[in-house]
This record gives sequence, structure tokens and C-alpha cells, in this order.
Amino acid sequence: MGKPDKKTSPLVEMKGVSKTYFPRKQLFARHQNTVLALNGIDLCIETGEIFGLVGQSGSGKTTTGRLLLRLEQPTAGEILFNKVPVRGLKGRALKEFRSRVQMIFQDPYQSLNSHLSIAETVMEPLVVQKIGTPESRSKKVIHTLETVGLSPGKSFYNRYPHQLSGGQRQRVAIARAIVVEPEFIVADEPTSMLDATIAIQLFKLLMDIKATFGMTFLFITHNLAAARYLCDRIAVINEGHIVEVNTAENIIRHPEHPYTKKLIQVQPGFKFSR
Amino acid sequence: MALLSVKNLTIGYKTKKGLLKAVDNISFDLEKGSPLGFVGESGCGKTTIGMALMGLLPENAVILDGSIQFQGEDLVLLKEKQWRRVRGAKIAMIFQAAMNALNPVHRVEDQIKEAIITHQPDMSSADLTARLQELFSLVDIPVQRMKDYPHEYSGGMKQRVIIAMALACDPDLIIADEPTTALDVIVQDQILQEIRKVQQKTRTGLIFISHDIAVVASVCDRICVMYAGQLVETGTKKEVFTSPRHPYTRSLLGSYLSLDNLNDIVIPDMQESPDLLSDIGSCRFADNCKVCSGVCRKEAPDWIDISGTHKAFCCEPQIIRGSHGKT
Repeated sequence: MGKPDKKTSPLVEMKGVSKTYFPRKQLFARHQNTVLALNGIDLCIETGEIFGLVGQSGSGKTTTGRLLLRLEQPTAGEILFNKVPVRGLKGRALKEFRSRVQMIFQDPYQSLNSHLSIAETVMEPLVVQKIGTPESRSKKVIHTLETVGLSPGKSFYNRYPHQLSGGQRQRVAIARAIVVEPEFIVADEPTSMLDATIAIQLFKLLMDIKATFGMTFLFITHNLAAARYLCDRIAVINEGHIVEVNTAENIIRHPEHPYTKKLIQVQPGFKFSR
Repeated sequence: MALLSVKNLTIGYKTKKGLLKAVDNISFDLEKGSPLGFVGESGCGKTTIGMALMGLLPENAVILDGSIQFQGEDLVLLKEKQWRRVRGAKIAMIFQAAMNALNPVHRVEDQIKEAIITHQPDMSSADLTARLQELFSLVDIPVQRMKDYPHEYSGGMKQRVIIAMALACDPDLIIADEPTTALDVIVQDQILQEIRKVQQKTRTGLIFISHDIAVVASVCDRICVMYAGQLVETGTKKEVFTSPRHPYTRSLLGSYLSLDNLNDIVIPDMQESPDLLSDIGSCRFADNCKVCSGVCRKEAPDWIDISGTHKAFCCEPQIIRGSHGKT
């Protein structure tokens, strides 16, 4: 596992980012309840690292990922990508931004369109971004499928999601994310639906992709053990606050915040072998 | 005598493409007060076993062979009417994400009461109230919350209510099928503690089903590892986790990430479970097995004893007994 070298530069920065959700107005409610999902978050993800964001359900970890990809806009604060504020991007600049950031979703049974073949699914980002010619695209798709371990790529080309297992579907989702060679990928609980033996192979794949292409990852999870295995640095998030950021080893070995300690304590393990 | 004794249980699902053998020739015994865990990946048949024990198999399922001996009767032979006497009263089940199945328009208290009244219609209302209070305190919900509606409870509290509901008629056997999978780690830890505590107090028979080996390890004394409908290894918790013998158990343990085993991680080169419809060789793990010589594609595997309580299902004793059993 390569640690980021000393002379790194931040790829993604969040400065005092807050996000408030306004739930649907209730008919007789006097006050509107608001949900503060993120409360003044500062975060810095270095180029080339796998950064882990760990927290319970409802802690704001998925919201963070969505804000970073500009799927939503923050209520307050600023997000910089390569030192450029993401908020103001428009038109061509926004489209270009979209080709440089990608997402891998949690549930491979829902995130793939069942009406599109594997080839169409993986090719779509290339078509949208107008990259290459039809021939070069199809070559690229086959090559990418093989990169993610679906080889020979040709044999998967014309299949549909329902013909694939959960692990293979998630590989397709990864292929779709890396086919445009983005700089930054947000992986939101990519293995929580998969069995342990399959999940660990996907972790290996993500680490291989990072090593080959030098992409930067934000890995969102509730599983501290998985984050430690995969990530260079880990941030622990609780109720919209980042409570602790440190290298993966230090978070586990020398947790400082009580919430981090609590998370470590409840992590299931084989207690008697300790 | 064992509380529950399952012999050669084989269950198939009729599908459009043919008969799918989801549970293949499984035998096990359950003693009272010694929780038994079933672990395996999705589709390995562990839930099908739970459903068979509850008489809740879907319509396209057929029990092809075997018997389920429970308190002197064979559950396989029960008619639907006879099941009503057993289900809920003697055998209860805690389902995955069952907290979402609570009825939102009835008070929590009434929903548990319903379960008791169904099986013991002549219970006096004073006894009923006392029983409800006892149940709530058993699962650590304050008695003053009894009259709340489900939406006033948190996810963890709802799952506790489900546990209380399962305990309502004082069953002899509880089947917990992935009871913590929908919860996050902190709540999961609380619920597991709850289940351990309740089990020790009531000494009920417990079958605990999960895909998460660490969760199973934290509750059960004995473990059954399943792969593609077959039981592949069984033993005490310590035997299975500290010296796994079957190649599948080893890859399952080797790929499990916990905070204290980072250096032992072995990335398995495994495909997902085989298609159970197609004609499988005798050992269903053969295609993924990295250590076997291939005889298992022709010969039927058999149980190989390692100790009085620990055994594994394989064709080659040298693999099971060999020195590389240690991890």
C-alpha cells in the first residue's frame, strides 16, 4: 500500500462546508424543522491518496460525497477542486469537471440500468463526454472491462446486468467510473452489499487501479476495518462534524476522540483471538 | 436428548429452469443453552433452513428428503393447521430488518399482546400486563414506553421489540436470521449484547444465521459453515475460528477484515457460488478450491472428524488434517 509521498498537493478541499436540508413542509407545523447534515466541515484530500470517511448511518458521510461531486450544493462554505471553486462552474467548465470526477454507488443492483447492455453502460460516459470515435470507444470499453477483472472483455460486452453476479455488477460500475480516466472517484460503501470473499477482491482491485492510474479516492464506509485496510488517511465523522483525521494506522492504534474509541470498541472481531 | 435434530434435510426450489437444490443433505443437532450459528454467503441456503424450521417455506419449495425432529415430532410432516400450534409458541423467529414490519397504527404494547393472546387466549389481563412488563424489562425498554407507537422508537429499539415479540410465548427455540444486518455498528453491538443476555437468562435454544462471521462468533458456541447449500464444516467457535480446516472456511476467514487481523488477509481467487441448477460435481466448492487434487469432481465428499466436535466435509483427509490447517 503506497503512502502518499511528502510533496503532495491537495486535490479536493472543503472549507467550512455546511449542508442543511429543508424537509417538506408539514401542513399544520408552526415551525419548519431543518436537518443540519453537515456542520462546518474542513477536509483536505491529497492527490493520489485513498481517503476514508467513516461514520454511522446518518452521520453525513454520503452527503459529503455528493457535495464533492457537485450533485448538490452546500448551504455554506466552499469546495475547491484543483484550487478552483466548484460552486461557480457552469457550461463547458462544469461538463469538464464531471469528466474528472466519478462515483461508485453502494448497490450494484440499483445503480446499473437493467435495459442497457454492459457495453452501453460503460460506454455512456464516453458518449456523453464526446471522447473518441465509435471504434475507439468500443476498444476502450473492452480494455476497461479487462482492467476491472471482467475478462475476456468481449464475452461481457453484450451481456445485461441480470446475467451478472453482484460482484461482477460492481466491477461494471467501477469500469463505468474509470473509463473516462477521472482524477477523483467517490466510492460510497461499494462493498456493503457483497460477501466478504467478494468484497476483499474488489478492495484489491481499487488499490490496483489507484496504483496504475494514480487516481484519488474518497472511500465512504461504516466499516472501520475496511477503511484501515484500504485507506492512507481516515476521517471519522459524527453528526455532521469531522471528529478526527489521521493516518489509518494512527486512527486505529491511537484514537483520540471518544467517538472514535467507541467505534473501535464496537467493531466486531474474533474476540478470543486477541 | 437434543432439543432439535435435523437429519439429511434436502430442500429444492421449483424454478422455470428446473429444480434448484438450495439445501443439500444437511444434518445437525441443537442442544438447549448452546447457541448454534450458521454462516455463509448470500444464496448458500442458510435462510432456507430457518424458513423450513418455521414451516414458512415459499410455495415453490419442496422438502425432498430428511427429517426435523423437535420435541418428539417430525416437523416435516406437519400440516399447515398443526403448524399454528408450533409456530410462534414453540419456535419463534427474528427476521432481518423486522423492525420495519411493525404495524405503524398500533401501539407497540398491543402488537406484542396480540402474539400472546393468539396462543394463550385464556390468560387473565393482570397476568398479561405482568408478562408484558417482564418482556420489556428483559429487552431493556423502559416500561413507560410500552404505549408508544413504533415511529416513536429508534431502529435499535424497534429491533428490541421484535426480540421481545419472539420471546412473548416463551418459545423453546428462537431462530434469528440476520437480526442486526440492517443496523449500524453501534446499535448492532447493543442488540448482540441483548441477544446474548436474553439467551443466557432464558436458556432458550438459539439458531443464529448471519453472513458476518464475527457477528456469529460473538453470539454462538457452535458454528456451522455453509457453502452453496452444503454444510462444509462444523465445530465449536474456537475450533472453527482458530483452526479452520475446510478450504472454504479458510478463505472466508482469510478475507474477513477486522481490526486485529490485517496481516493475515489472504485475497481469495473465488467466483461467486456456483449455479445450483446446473449439474454440480459432488463437492460444490471444487471449482473454487485451490488445494484439492480434483478427485472431488468424481467422488462424493464425506465428513472427516478432526475432534469429537469438529468435522469438515471433504474428499481428501490430508487436506483437512494437514498442517496447513493453521492460519
